[in-house]
Amino acid sequence: MINWKSIEQYDIPWRVLSIALILTLIGLLALKSISQHHQDSVFTPFFKQIVFFIPSVILCAGILFLPRYAVHKYSLIFYFVGIIIVFLPFFSDPRAGTHRWLDIGLPFAIQPSEFAKVFTMIALARYLSDHTLKMKQFSPIIVSFILVFLPALIVLNQPDLGTAIIMVTPALPMLYWSGARPFYLFLILAPVLSILASFNTTLFAIWALMMGSVIVLAQPKILSGIGLFFGNIFLGLLSRPLWDMLKPYQQTRLLTMIYPEKDPLGAAYQIIQSKTAIGSGGFFGKGWGDGTQTHLKFLPVQESDFILSVIGEELGFVTIAFILILSGYLISIVLKHSFLSKDRFSSLLLIGTATILMSHVFVNTAMTVGLIPVKGLPFPFISAGGSFLVTSYILTGLIMRFSIHYTD
Amino acid sequence: MLKAENIVSSHQYRIAGFVVWLLICVLLGRYFQIQILEHERYSSKSNTNRIRKVTKNAPRGLILDRNGDILVDNFPIYVLTAIPGEMTNQDIQFKLISNYIQSDSAILSSNYNKYYRGQFIPTRLAKDLNFQQISHLEENKLNLQGIYFDQIPERYFPSRVKAPHLFGYVKEVDRQIRESLINGELYELGDLVGWTGLEKQYEIFLMGNRGIYFYEVDVFGREVGPAIELDPKKPDPGQNIQTTLDLSLQAFIEKQMINRKGIALVGHPESGEILSAVSSPDYSPDLFTGFTTEREWSEIQTDPDRPLLNRYTQGTYPPASIVKMIMEAVLIENLDFDVEMTHVCSGSYQFGDRIFGCWLTEGHGEVNMTEAMAVSCDVYFYKAIRATNIDQVYDMFISFGFGKKTGVDIPNEAEGLIPNKDYMFKRYGRFGWSKGSLLNIAIGQGELLVTPIQVLNYVNLLATRGSSPVCHFVMANNLPQNVRPELDSSTWDQILSDMRAVITHEKGTGRKAQPEIKGMNIFGKTGTAENPHGDDHAWFIGWAEYLGEKYSLVLLLENGGSGGTVAAPLAKIIFSQFESGMDLASK
Repeated sequence: MINWKSIEQYDIPWRVLSIALILTLIGLLALKSISQHHQDSVFTPFFKQIVFFIPSVILCAGILFLPRYAVHKYSLIFYFVGIIIVFLPFFSDPRAGTHRWLDIGLPFAIQPSEFAKVFTMIALARYLSDHTLKMKQFSPIIVSFILVFLPALIVLNQPDLGTAIIMVTPALPMLYWSGARPFYLFLILAPVLSILASFNTTLFAIWALMMGSVIVLAQPKILSGIGLFFGNIFLGLLSRPLWDMLKPYQQTRLLTMIYPEKDPLGAAYQIIQSKTAIGSGGFFGKGWGDGTQTHLKFLPVQESDFILSVIGEELGFVTIAFILILSGYLISIVLKHSFLSKDRFSSLLLIGTATILMSHVFVNTAMTVGLIPVKGLPFPFISAGGSFLVTSYILTGLIMRFSIHYTD
Repeated sequence: MLKAENIVSSHQYRIAGFVVWLLICVLLGRYFQIQILEHERYSSKSNTNRIRKVTKNAPRGLILDRNGDILVDNFPIYVLTAIPGEMTNQDIQFKLISNYIQSDSAILSSNYNKYYRGQFIPTRLAKDLNFQQISHLEENKLNLQGIYFDQIPERYFPSRVKAPHLFGYVKEVDRQIRESLINGELYELGDLVGWTGLEKQYEIFLMGNRGIYFYEVDVFGREVGPAIELDPKKPDPGQNIQTTLDLSLQAFIEKQMINRKGIALVGHPESGEILSAVSSPDYSPDLFTGFTTEREWSEIQTDPDRPLLNRYTQGTYPPASIVKMIMEAVLIENLDFDVEMTHVCSGSYQFGDRIFGCWLTEGHGEVNMTEAMAVSCDVYFYKAIRATNIDQVYDMFISFGFGKKTGVDIPNEAEGLIPNKDYMFKRYGRFGWSKGSLLNIAIGQGELLVTPIQVLNYVNLLATRGSSPVCHFVMANNLPQNVRPELDSSTWDQILSDMRAVITHEKGTGRKAQPEIKGMNIFGKTGTAENPHGDDHAWFIGWAEYLGEKYSLVLLLENGGSGGTVAAPLAKIIFSQFESGMDLASK
């Protein structure tokens, strides 16, 4: 146990907490605006968010007192706890057709995958911080991916593609951080990109060219280089016939998972409404509470996934830019502390945290303006959502705790 | 613990920072493009081209009789809706509307609050508007911005059949109902959901899928046309369901049961199909569709004859002498029983310190099994049943499907009650009951309670020697497994010939059930149930064999009197309906 004084002596990045609080405040402001017309006068999204803010801050403060070695020591236990809790929802009745939510007898349900993704990231940090690992070899990469795919596959079956992606993503920068050869990381990604690119001839040609150059630049043995290149090309060519072998309903299911816009009554409608709301907001917005589009109630999840559309319409580009720059700044701070960390575990944990936050910021923001397919991922600190607010503040606590530069 | 040193190079750090700011810039750029560069376009779109999503209810599937004639149909009615965000002044407009359609503006605003879901979603104000009301509103359209009409399908009953207990009714989904449904997310406020009877049981087939249309509306909220960006979805009507009912037979029996209280069930033992089901008194099936006044409704609810009760699945009755076939089966199967052996009936029988009477107080004299069945002698069964025990009798009841739900396809079926030793111990204590209770059970009195649908299943099983499928109202495959009493073939022979004797014996209690139709053989049993609520209930159960087909019948006339004198003549009238046969092939 460390005492409070020793924390003060070191440089706790209070800026991180300040940014979190500012973003939460902006979120509350937007939630208050859309809660005005809410039917349930008591349990508005605004009220719920305030209720969840309290345990969030308590957990965040609690983490400041956690010994770092304890996080390291118990990380694997937490990893398995994470796997168990994402399994639990399968044993109860589905909510809204999915097994994402766990009913714990309270007026609200919790989303276990939110916590599991933090536990998974910490477990990976522990594995990669083992100093005996031979990072120049290929096997640690395989083990790392098994580690993240195990919980991610369960979450994918809930089904929750968004969270599953967020679980896997930290593996790439963390492997890069611990010294894995970038070429190996490229090899891991290549088959996925080959399959995705194979559905468009031009795209596939560009991809083949890119892949060829990378392989040449990496200078592998001639034979394995040729093997890699044609292996990927072959995979790409094969994926089309394989796709055609699927039954039409299986194709639709896959397509709506990757491109929900294919379901015109759901996502496409949301994107049109979201873009209209944002675009009509202009530079300064229409003013707080005056967003005509958002008050049409056309967006079913405007308080969580599409909160930026509300802000974009009512508070304008200025506020959006402020939020994005502030988020970028927050992530830069985390990166800096990760770079300055004395030990590898802290450094990896911080880059993992930064990745989770950045993925959420990017996927959520890009989705609201139709840059990427609609994925149900909230914006850190701003979106309404109990479990995710708690997770965001747990991450904040971890950032502050692991940014104190001394060795213990 | 944290031994491994951080090995991140400044090169890696710079690349990571670069990626972060690159992504942030992409996002900023995209927002800049939409909010600044394309602001004009989106701004005008938001002002003039709001897209309104309007859903249209799918008509529910129809309910047909076995020949495809429509029993339950849909009929379009007019509803008045408001789009809250387009109304200029709610209070004044509600007052105007209530003037034009002569209704209370308080009703309008209470409906408004009940159905409100959002500023720009049509909210129902009133329904069942007639042509005159609509034309009044049309004339004053200028004052009524944001007020629209819509047509929705409502249930309507075109045939002369009532059968309200069977069809059940639908309810409009409100917030509370939506929360209570397992698949509540499929319903919108104001949708119809099957609440009782077939409407509830077959909800997933009947409900259909709602259509969705997108309209562009201008700044005043007027619809400009369909939104071209989004494809509409037509409403997908629910699936029709074909019942096993025969429209004309049902109508005929309903007419016979007017001014009577009780149940008439006609079935087809070989298939388990129910050809007709009447629970009387009943009510008009459109009671729930909205034309009913408060007064009519409370009259029906407080009627002491309980017309809302579905008597054939939810009513439980003492079975009386119709259980004697069960007793016969118990005796023949469990004991070395000689059906030719006689007992003397003197009109009563003393057992221990209690006297058990026969219904015929002067006594039947010396009778064997067949005669005892034919004249329904109680004393014979008192004496014979002594050699058995209550659990043997219980097992036989259970094997004929009593004491549990039959699985018929309408909800909320009652289970009835068959006592066994455990039950008697629990209810009366170890020494609080004696073999006397068994004697009461032998003539179908005492604790016994059965539902008429269980009795129909019992008759079907007797008529098919134990192989009848579950009773059901809708043509379906994969019926649930019915109970299957396994009796010796000689036992079946004896029971069936005794049931025939009930009709043919010169003193047979069921002789009035035989119609004068050549070749039609009736098998049956009467019952006269004493009950604490008034006069005896009259039972007739049995079946007709005619032109190679069997038609089973269960009749119960509450407080009607004696089964032989009241129920059997009605049975004759119903059996006579089959004179010209019936085409039972499913269509």
